[in-house]
Amino acid sequence: MKKSFINLFAVLLIITVTTNGSAQKLITKTGNIKFQASMPTYEDVSAENKSVSAILEQSTGDFAALVLIKGFRFKTALMEEHFNENYMESEKFSKATLKGKISDLDVSKITNTSKNFTLKGDLTIHGKTKPVTLLVKVSKAANGVNINGSFEVKPEDFDIEIPNLVRKKIADKVKIEYNFSLIK
Amino acid sequence: MKKFLVPICLFLATIAYSQDDLLNSLDSTQVEQNYSTATFKALQLVTLQTTKMPAKKEFYFVVSHRFGTVKDGFDSFFGLDNATTKLGGIYGVTDWLSVSLSRHTLNKMYETGVKYRMTRQDDHFPVDIVGHTVADINTFLEKEQYPGLEFKHRMTYVQQLLISRKFSDKLSFELVPSFVHRNLYNPDLENDNQFSFGGGGRYKITKRLSLNLEYVHNFDKPDFYKNPLSVGLDVETGGHVFQLIFTNSQSMSESGYLTNASGDWGKGDFFFGFNLYRVF
Repeated sequence: MKKSFINLFAVLLIITVTTNGSAQKLITKTGNIKFQASMPTYEDVSAENKSVSAILEQSTGDFAALVLIKGFRFKTALMEEHFNENYMESEKFSKATLKGKISDLDVSKITNTSKNFTLKGDLTIHGKTKPVTLLVKVSKAANGVNINGSFEVKPEDFDIEIPNLVRKKIADKVKIEYNFSLIK
Repeated sequence: MKKFLVPICLFLATIAYSQDDLLNSLDSTQVEQNYSTATFKALQLVTLQTTKMPAKKEFYFVVSHRFGTVKDGFDSFFGLDNATTKLGGIYGVTDWLSVSLSRHTLNKMYETGVKYRMTRQDDHFPVDIVGHTVADINTFLEKEQYPGLEFKHRMTYVQQLLISRKFSDKLSFELVPSFVHRNLYNPDLENDNQFSFGGGGRYKITKRLSLNLEYVHNFDKPDFYKNPLSVGLDVETGGHVFQLIFTNSQSMSESGYLTNASGDWGKGDFFFGFNLYRVF
């Protein structure tokens, strides 16, 4: 028991050392993701998550973001429950992740006006991983950089079933907006 | 030496995969408040209440029917000629407190209830515990029949504890100890205080269908009543939950359901019914 505790402590220590060891990483734990899946004239199907984690390795442009599905807040509690239980199955697939590389990123040349970059990577939602190429806007912020943008995903690409009964009420393409203020 | 082996391997692994390493470092920073949600689809299992509560400011409208006994066959079209109705509303005052009011055809009953959550199931605590307190007002009783009738005689009280656990995303169970007190009763036949212990569960057949079963053992009932045994099917369609029910206890009020089960499954004497919930 004691041994495994020491092991765990050592692991934690090493993770801490390896992640904070270099000052090259910019991090946020309060990133923002909104999605919009409404159809005109039907009930509003949208939600927001304000505690998204994201990390950027400045020297290489490696980027990763992680969001807990249960952290998405809807206007109605019932919709939130159904989102978790029937669509995203968040007890089985608790998070969605994006990991990739922003090409040609040189943080020292970033200014206050945002500039477009290309992020190539893997998007994982509902336990299913797809390669994606996203346009990201990067600008300078106090003590770090701001990364934002939007993209669209199709629920069916990630095996998220939408029953016929509500087919008309949910958009074929869900618009996802993100905003991360990454700091040292 | 051995105790450093694991960390060293991990250290090497983290160096090897830089993007994964980035993702993993995020994992360790996330704190998850992991309450079990959607233990049950509806506020009721079959007729018993579940530990599900309306969210704050949510309003549930409920219509329920229990038809007459199926035993009569075509005479009453399997009981459909003798419908009893419950009309009611439930309002979530906060996430942990809800109030309800309903009117029942059977005994012209008004039922008021309060549900309050005491604990939630999460990584540290194994069960949801919800209290349920009910007061029934029987407006069927008439002065002609009971000359000494006062308002207090119309009252029946129920106190329940609802204890549930979600075992998997498909399987949930609930235990329900109950205490019923009647102000008006026949001392030759029945007790004014009745204890019962019930239990039930649900199994999700598909994402939007679940099969429910519940049984209550009443320790103080007179012999001519049975213990309620009910089976139901939940059908969820977005903003509605529809529950189809077969039961041997026709009453939809908490007190009547627990103490006055008149049907007998063994003799084909049971009741068909449904609960329909609409959420606003």
